[in-house]
Order: sequence, then structure tokens, then C-alpha cells
Amino acid sequence: MRVLLLFLVLLLCHAKPYKPINIMELMKIHDIMQQDRDDDDDNDDNDDYVYNFKDNFISDCPFGCQCSRRVVQCSDLGLTSVPSDIPVDTLMIDLQNNDITQIKENDFKGLNNLYALFLVNNRISKIHPKAFKNTKKLQLLYLSYNLLTQIPESLPKNILELRLHDNKITKIQKEAFKGMQSLHVLEMSANPIANSGIELGAFNDMATLYLRIAEAKLTQVPKDLPSSLTELHLDYNTIAKVEVEDFIRYKNLLRLGLGYNQIKFVENGSLANIPKIREMHLDNNRLKRVPPGLNTLKYLQVVYLHGNSINSVGVNDFCPTRAKAKKALYTGISLFANPVKYWEIQPPTFRCISGHRAVQLGNFRKK
Amino acid sequence: MRLACLILLLVSVCWALPFYQSGFLDFMMEDEPGSAMFPDLTPPEGPVLPRMPLEPVCPFRCQCHLRVVQCSDLRLENVPENIPNDATLLDLQNNKIREIRENDFKGLRGLHALILVNNKITTIHTKAFAPLVNLERLYLSKNLLKDVPPNMPKSLQELRIHENKITKIKKATFTGLPNILVMELGSNPLAGSAVDGGAFADLKRVSYIRIADTNITSIPKGLPSSLSELHLDGNKITKVTAESLKGLKNLAKLGLSHNEISVVENGSLANMPHLRELHLDNNALTIVPTGLPEHKYIQVIYLHANKIGTVGTEDFCPPSYNTKKAMYSGISLFSNPVPYWEVQPITFRCVFDRSAIQLGNYRKK
Repeated sequence: MRVLLLFLVLLLCHAKPYKPINIMELMKIHDIMQQDRDDDDDNDDNDDYVYNFKDNFISDCPFGCQCSRRVVQCSDLGLTSVPSDIPVDTLMIDLQNNDITQIKENDFKGLNNLYALFLVNNRISKIHPKAFKNTKKLQLLYLSYNLLTQIPESLPKNILELRLHDNKITKIQKEAFKGMQSLHVLEMSANPIANSGIELGAFNDMATLYLRIAEAKLTQVPKDLPSSLTELHLDYNTIAKVEVEDFIRYKNLLRLGLGYNQIKFVENGSLANIPKIREMHLDNNRLKRVPPGLNTLKYLQVVYLHGNSINSVGVNDFCPTRAKAKKALYTGISLFANPVKYWEIQPPTFRCISGHRAVQLGNFRKK
Repeated sequence: MRLACLILLLVSVCWALPFYQSGFLDFMMEDEPGSAMFPDLTPPEGPVLPRMPLEPVCPFRCQCHLRVVQCSDLRLENVPENIPNDATLLDLQNNKIREIRENDFKGLRGLHALILVNNKITTIHTKAFAPLVNLERLYLSKNLLKDVPPNMPKSLQELRIHENKITKIKKATFTGLPNILVMELGSNPLAGSAVDGGAFADLKRVSYIRIADTNITSIPKGLPSSLSELHLDGNKITKVTAESLKGLKNLAKLGLSHNEISVVENGSLANMPHLRELHLDNNALTIVPTGLPEHKYIQVIYLHANKIGTVGTEDFCPPSYNTKKAMYSGISLFSNPVPYWEVQPITFRCVFDRSAIQLGNYRKK
């Protein structure tokens, strides 16, 4: 009942950027619910469960796991498969750091209330297409650090957060996330994905807000990602430039991470497509100048440009000529580790910052 | 209580806009001479530019949903700054953090769970955990710690330090942690008698201890009587002594698989009167441990892959049914030298179901 109420509350407030995921809150609520049952004890000598059919089986918790408050903690046990006797009312299962090689059809059978499933750091290469058939309430699915080679088929449709970090995924097939409109967070970094591996329509119909494909093999900004994105992180790729059409779809972006790429230049007009941007990281690239158009971004507050090859900074590179045009002052601009000499930058360059500590200059150090 | 809960939730759920960078981001680099070049540069004349309203901050690339701060898989080398002060869960797993500094968790009074699994942590400042007065779960598995960190919060209920470089558990290691319920110390290079006698004695409420896959050669002494599960599989234990299990009146599950146990002393089982499940498979036992017929509650006993050569009709069940409170639901005896045709069916007269017994042929490896 409380859970129901909780979800109602969450639904009511969906002005929020993410559908909130609050494990601790959930657990606390169940703590309250379960408190009375804590002292159940079948060890009492006076009880009458002798030879009772049901009680004669130990089905309360898989051996070595801990089960309390509908959380099943089975990490670090050297398990080679998902244990078979998980209590049916379980909300959360932690199976990380085991040696599980595959997810079989009936591994999660009957777990109709499952809310969060952590399978991080196993050796999973196969997931049965029907494995998630009954877990309709699953919201968090963490599959990072496994051996998956593609986005699993038939993922549960209602999940909010999917993590596939560090697998062997080379391809995002068309309609890989079909029907997953509530997937708000997708983290699939550290997979060998190239631009050519993202099929046209792979992200169709999605409403994702946070997407991270870092540490991959991208050479340009993918143009077919969900248009709903507010955060896009593509750090540690080999993107060589930012082109005019790169951000046309991503008008809602608030945060953009492009650090640690090989970006030589940002085409004129490309930043005009993301007018709401608040924070942009372009550090550790190969930029020779400050990207054009920064001074038109009314809400930009943080911009990282350190670790580039910028050798001159113009007086209007950051701030608009009309003071009123800027709606939010900069709180962080980093320019250190660039060849530009700080004494050649005119102080009025930073006329639209919140305080002098918002700028980091410093000396250029050749690596 | 319900109302308060809901109001709290409502307030935090409706916390409006997603992102705000309140102050300056400290770049943690060198102290630039250049940054002092522009003292108090005020904006040019005209109306003062509007400031963004005060909103919760979130470290770049992390996700902050309500009070869960998710910063895993980001190659972070340090605990990020700007963690919202009201965070209840901080997930920093799978990063490259080497050190926990004094002020890394400053102000995080509301934190309940801190997950630092799979980093490269070698040192934790002695005062680093001081602000975490409400911390209940601390996960430090898969790091490079050589010692259990000192000064852990008194509120701690679950401590996981699996797969580190810990070589010694001293008697004083866990003092001042009266609320611990779960302790996981497996896969550490604990040799021979690396666990001091009485090291766990102060943990008055502990119910689960696991020290698997180390090199300890005996069951640690002075285990607290609150214990309901003890898992010591994958070690080099050679003998189960009655003394080491003394007083474990609440123990329900005992895992001793994959050790080198050749002897279970008489009276060992009697020291654990409420034991329900005992795993002794993959050891060097030559007989079925004594005390099983007299034990009232034991339901599952694994004895497979030992060196048991004979099984007597009185090894598992009492002479009459009445003394046992629960029937066996699992007995495994396969991979022992005893030929199954020599085990008389009446041996298993207090077993719930025929399928509860696993005999089978002995296969020499």
C-alpha cells in the first residue's frame, strides 16, 4: 500500500527531470513494514511445526546469501548461476561479483515484485529472451562488467535505469530499446561501439534523459540519439570535430561532456542548437581557439577548456556584448594547460562571471 | 509516521530544476598565479544579472535522483566535490579512487549507504568517516586495503571488505561497532592464525559473518552468540573443534565446504542446538560427524566429496522418531568411497522425502 502511495506521489510530480529512483526510501518503507515480523522464530521448542510439509524445507534464503527486508544480498559468493530459492516477494537482488555465465529462462520466475537487479561483474554472455517475462516492475537493471556482445533482447519494458558499462557490445541494433519509453538513464560506456555500430532507428521512441557512451570508439557525435536528452556524455572517445548538424536533435541538453576526445574545431553555429546548455566539458581536446558561439549561450555557467591547444582568447569569446543578454553568470571557466599566455587575455573577457574565482587560468605545461 | 514520510518524499520529489552549479568548481590543479589577476571583477553597468536560484548540485556526469547519488563507472580518481548534503546513498563503485581524504565526506550526515567497491583504495584518512554519523552500510570490496579502516561509524550495520589485501584481524579491529549485523571479509590474504581470538566478540548483534577463500586454518575463537550464519568455505581449516563453536546457540547455517577438515570433534553439533543447515562437502572426512541423531533441528547436511567409507544406520536418525523436531530435507553423500548399495535404506528413516538424499557413485578425481 505504501509503495503504491509512493508511486502515486512520484507520478504526480513528474515535472522532475528524472523519474526519481530512491532505493533507500523504498527500503526504509519496507523496514517499517517488516519490523513486526523480525522476531519470527521457528526455533522455539514449543512450536508445533514438527513434520509440517511447508516448514520442512528451508526456502527462506539461498545458502550464503542474506535476506532481510525483501533485499537479497548474494554478492561475492563465487556463484556460477542465479540461485534457485530466492524469496518470491523480493524487491532487490544483489548478485554482483560472482561467476554467473548466463541468465536462464526461469532464473527470475515468480519474482513479480522485483524492483532492482544488480548483476555487475559476472561473466554473463547470454540472457534468455524470456528471462524477464514476469519482472514487470523492474526499474533498475545493472549489467555492467559482463561479456554481453549485444543489447539483450526482450529487456523489461518499464525500467528506468539500464547500465551496460564495460561489456563487449559492438552494435546497437534497430529497435534495441523498443517500447522502453520510461528508460531515463542509459549508461553503456566502455563498449567497443563505433558510429557505424549504431543502426538507424536504434533509439526510436525513447525518452531518455541521461545517456553516456564514453570510452567507446565513436569518431563523431551520433546524430540519431533520443531528442529528449538533457545530459549527454561522450568523453574518452576519438571524436575529431563538432559539426553544425551534430546537436540539431538535442535541443534540451543541459549538460554535455566531450572531454578527452580529439576535437580540433567546433563549427560555427553548432552550439546555437543547444540554447539551454548549462555545463559543457571540452577539456583535453585539440582545440586551437575558444569554440565560436559560447557568447550566445544565455544559460551557460560552466565551460571546461583546459588541456587544449588554445593560443589566443578574444575579448568577446565568452560574454555577449550586451550585458543583459546573459541570463546566468559563469561560475566556472577553465583555461589552464593551454598555450595562451594569461597576461595576454584582457580582463573584460570575463565580464560576465559570478566572481573572480570562477576563472582558472594558469601556465601551459608541455606534457 | 506515514504522513511524515509522504511529506518528506513529496518535498524532495518536487524539487524542481535538474541542475545548478552553486559555487566555483575547484579544479584541484595547481594554484594558478593567473587566477589572482582579476580581483573582484564586477559586471559592467546596467542591471545586475540575475542569479540562478539555489538548487541542489550534482557532480558532473553523476546522476542525483532524489537522495541517491550515482557516480559509478566514471574513472574518477577522487571522491567528487559537490555531493548534495542530503544524499542517503552514494555509489562510487568502479572508479579509480586511490585514497579517501579527510574531507571527502564532509557534511554527509544523512548518508546511509556508501559503496566504494572496485576502486584502488589503499589509504583511508583516520577522520574520513567521522561525518557519517548515520552510515549503515559500507561496501569496500575489491580495493587494495591492507587493514580494516579505523574509526568506522558506530551506526554501521553492514561491512563488506571482500577481496582486499588484509592480512590481519586484530582483537581491537572491530571495537566500537555495536550495531554490526553483517560482516563479509572473504578473499583476503589472511593466513594461518591471522584472525585473533575474540576479534568478533564485541559485535554483540552480529548475525552473519563470512570469511571465505582465505588461508585461515581454524575456526576463529570467541564468536559472539548472536551469530545465526557463519560461512568459512574455501579456507584451509583442518579440524572442527567443539570449543570454537561453544555458545553459538543461535547459529542456523554453517558453511565449511572446501576446507581440509578431517575431524569434527564430538560435541561440536551439540554446541549449535538450532543449526538447520550444515555444509561440510569437499573436505577430508572419513566418517559422518557424530551428534546428528540427537540434533533436533538439522535439516540439510552436505557431506559429498569427502572420504567417508562407511555409513551406519544410526548415523543420521535417532532410534525413534519423536526426538527430532524437523525431518531432513537434504542429505548429500555422493562422491564418497562408500558404495551406495552398502547404505541401508533404514538409515534415512527420518528424511522427509526420498529425493532429499543424494547418494551416487564415488568418482576418483
